[in-house]
Amino acid sequence: MITAPLLLMTVLLPLASLILALSPRWQKIYRYSLPLLPVPAIVAGLTVELHNWLEMPWLLMGGTWGLDELRQSFLLLTSILWATAGIFAVGYLNTRKLRAFCVFWALTLSGNLGLIISVDLASFYSFFAVMTFAAYGLVVHEGSDEANRAGRVYLAMAVAGEMALLTGLLMAAQHADSVLLTELPAAIAESERSWLIVALLVAGFGVKAGLPFLHFWLPLAHPVAPTPASAVLSGAMIKAGLLGWLVTLPFGELALPAWGNTLVVLGATGAIGGAMLGLKQVRPKTILAYSSISQMGLITLMVGAAMANTSQAATLLSVIALYALHHGLAKGCLFLSTAVELPTERRFRWILCLLIGLPGLSLAGLPFTSGAAAKFAMKDALKPEQYDFSMADYLPLVMSAGAVATMLLIWRFLWALSRSVGTGRNHRFKSLGWMAAMACSMVAFWFLPGAGSGTGHAWFVLTPSESWSLIWPIMLATGIAVAWWIARGRNGSWFQC
Amino acid sequence: MTASALLPVFALMTSLTAAIIIFTLPEQKHRLRTVVNLTAALLKLLLVGLMIWGVFQGREYGVSFTMVPGVDFVLRADALAMLFAGLSAALWLLTTVYAVGYLEGSPNRSRFFGFFSLCVASTMGIALAGNLFTFFLFYEMLTLSTYPLVVHRGTQQALRAGRTYIIYTLTGGAVLLLGISLLHSFAGDLPFRPGGHFAGIGPDLQAPLSIVFVILIAGLGVKAAIVPLHGWLPTAMVAPAPVSALLHAVAVVKAGAFGIVRVVFEIYGLETANALGLLSGLAAIAAFTIVYGSVRALSQSDLKRRLAFSTVSQVSYIILGLCLLGPVGVAGGLVHLVHQGVMKITLFFCAGNYAETLGIHRIDELDGAGRRMPATSVAFTLAAFGMIGTPPLAGFITKWTMGTGALATGMDWVIAVLVVSSLLNAAYFLPVLNRIWFREQKDPWTEERQWGRFETSAWLLWPPLVTAAFLVLAGVLASASFSPLGWVELIVAREVGP
Repeated sequence: MITAPLLLMTVLLPLASLILALSPRWQKIYRYSLPLLPVPAIVAGLTVELHNWLEMPWLLMGGTWGLDELRQSFLLLTSILWATAGIFAVGYLNTRKLRAFCVFWALTLSGNLGLIISVDLASFYSFFAVMTFAAYGLVVHEGSDEANRAGRVYLAMAVAGEMALLTGLLMAAQHADSVLLTELPAAIAESERSWLIVALLVAGFGVKAGLPFLHFWLPLAHPVAPTPASAVLSGAMIKAGLLGWLVTLPFGELALPAWGNTLVVLGATGAIGGAMLGLKQVRPKTILAYSSISQMGLITLMVGAAMANTSQAATLLSVIALYALHHGLAKGCLFLSTAVELPTERRFRWILCLLIGLPGLSLAGLPFTSGAAAKFAMKDALKPEQYDFSMADYLPLVMSAGAVATMLLIWRFLWALSRSVGTGRNHRFKSLGWMAAMACSMVAFWFLPGAGSGTGHAWFVLTPSESWSLIWPIMLATGIAVAWWIARGRNGSWFQC
Repeated sequence: MTASALLPVFALMTSLTAAIIIFTLPEQKHRLRTVVNLTAALLKLLLVGLMIWGVFQGREYGVSFTMVPGVDFVLRADALAMLFAGLSAALWLLTTVYAVGYLEGSPNRSRFFGFFSLCVASTMGIALAGNLFTFFLFYEMLTLSTYPLVVHRGTQQALRAGRTYIIYTLTGGAVLLLGISLLHSFAGDLPFRPGGHFAGIGPDLQAPLSIVFVILIAGLGVKAAIVPLHGWLPTAMVAPAPVSALLHAVAVVKAGAFGIVRVVFEIYGLETANALGLLSGLAAIAAFTIVYGSVRALSQSDLKRRLAFSTVSQVSYIILGLCLLGPVGVAGGLVHLVHQGVMKITLFFCAGNYAETLGIHRIDELDGAGRRMPATSVAFTLAAFGMIGTPPLAGFITKWTMGTGALATGMDWVIAVLVVSSLLNAAYFLPVLNRIWFREQKDPWTEERQWGRFETSAWLLWPPLVTAAFLVLAGVLASASFSPLGWVELIVAREVGP
């Protein structure tokens, strides 16, 4: 009974907030309302009854909204990240073009949340488009030449992606004779042109998800946006592409080993290649953007495996949701920390340095972090003996290499950050937003629905062999990083600790 | 006479009467003229609304009498007629409001509004015409009543454009008359009838019917701006903004497209036309026009010229939709009759607002216009995204319905046309939007003026805002029974069958 108003509010509150843009006198109120906009979505994610669809036959081609386990997980990730980034934004923003920022923020948010709760195709595609086009305003907000260039590349690739989606969705919907997303996978599996439809959907959503060779816009656009926008772009919106794959591709319906192989190769390319390119960067946010490509590459491995094997698909989908939740929250923290000022007193500095590094270590899979849970679940789900497509044997190798690459990239990020970070006082809301994001990534994560499902036993119990499997990539990467630093003549600062 | 006969006659007479009153009013009676204009527009909207309600419930409205033996004058309100009449009545009201503000203080307003009302009476007649002869009558009346509007400013450029316009359209009219006479010579006076008249014709009639079809389409194609008969349209954009808005959205191009719909559906019949192999040719021409118009739009630096080429492209969606054979594809084409009208009129209203308030005509002068005129720019942005076909706006509903219809009948190549057209639309609209919203103003707008309490005169501001709201609602509420798509599905059920 409470479902309908909560689902409607999830989308309508950010849209209704646009009224505040009508007068320049209200822009101060608008700024402070940013953190509140995702609140109905958080409440919906925590309380709404699953599989209870809200039918709106008059909407678009016939609207159906609601949540299932997968969408619940994505909704919580997205709304929490937008809320914390929203708090951060209150402190981060200055008054220049404030109203424009708030408008694009609210529009992008409504699209991002709306696509998650959409169960019918037209709503999903509509919200996806709203998010895509509104985010352009966030990307070019700074107005620099660099931002405009990034915006152009972003828009060109986004439009191309939209067209691939339009074609793929049209074909799939025509076969399904339905506008419900839930009917698409089976219809695609039965279609004689399933290959083409899958290709179009993989590519169309792949643009958003940073799939290698469709990723060119990402390291340009994610870093030039204002920091809170970078956080949601890289933490939440990148996951919209992933969710698109998960709800449309024929998982569990049809084994497509060729696609499994292709996606594993692409995933490996993204995981390793993204990290390699990231290591050459000097700006912290660009490094993080490449890290996102790399992490999405690891997730793509699981998507590929799920395409190749029908019996494992359900398990893999829940692990992907877990991994996405972990990565989104941790990446959000890392992006926000690029705009955090260090305290002027030296004795508090090391605590902050440690905290800034913590989500990075979580990405690398440090025991007792969300990353450890995600990594365990992934390793478990990707054991090669469960699969019979040809690339399956390489999965453990790619995952280990990916873990080392992740940690190396984190060291690179921390090194770059230490050279660019400033000292001084943080705006109250900036500190609050960053701490809230940290708390969600480190603590609240464990209490979110589905987060505990990965390991099969409590998160604080680790066998020595499990610990070792997590620790050695971190140690190896640290060794390489130290060796590189010494070889470079120890130049560069490390937070002046 | 019963109400069923009177309603269509009244709907026609409201604008005719308004025209006659306005012609007789002295030039300086602004207030009275505005009152007459708006009363007539509101009254007509009401009458059309009544007819729509009646047709929805299955009632028939019509009147006919014989002009000369063998030629009847027929007015008939069916579902298809109401699609065009409804669009025309609703947009006439808004355009009248807009024109009152636009022409404030300019000379010759009596003449302008007189012909304006005549022009709308013609479109109403075109919508309600029950046979080809009646259709032709109003079709020519439209040509003659729009000419004074196109040349209204009386400048050298306007007169030149007017000449081009009248040569194209009168030639088109002559060709159409030739087609109608030929058809009359071997088939008699044909009323419009769902399913057409030529189902199961013998092979001896096939060749003449095909030839007549080509002649009819060529005659109608001039107004519908099918390439290569489109030359008048970009030239005619020198007309005042409300005229361009009406020309591009309701009156002229739509009259051509609507005529093609009538000929294909109700003279030949969709199946017969297809069996004769006529539709594949028409589809190819429409597809070419769609792409050609968009490509030409890309290189225009004048805002209204870009919009004009965009019309060339978009109107052919309607024609391409007809050629998709199945009920879904046909619905996609027909609904674009309304969708394109609402979106394009919004764009022309906004272009007029930029021109009248800031003196902007070229696209590169638009930098920073969003900050100065946010409401106009929001309307423009929505309409442009609608044209690109971005969900959830009206243009997306068209594209989606046509795409589904094309796939259902195995015409997969149409998807490629839709995608290419969307990409081109994005390529020529998104840079404009980028200038409006994200560029800083470069040079001062020399003709800028403060006009009214808002960013521009309220008369100019409200019409685009209302049409922008329409184009959002037509998309978001597409599945509601009162939406354009809902109405078109009713038409298709009656015309093509399930």
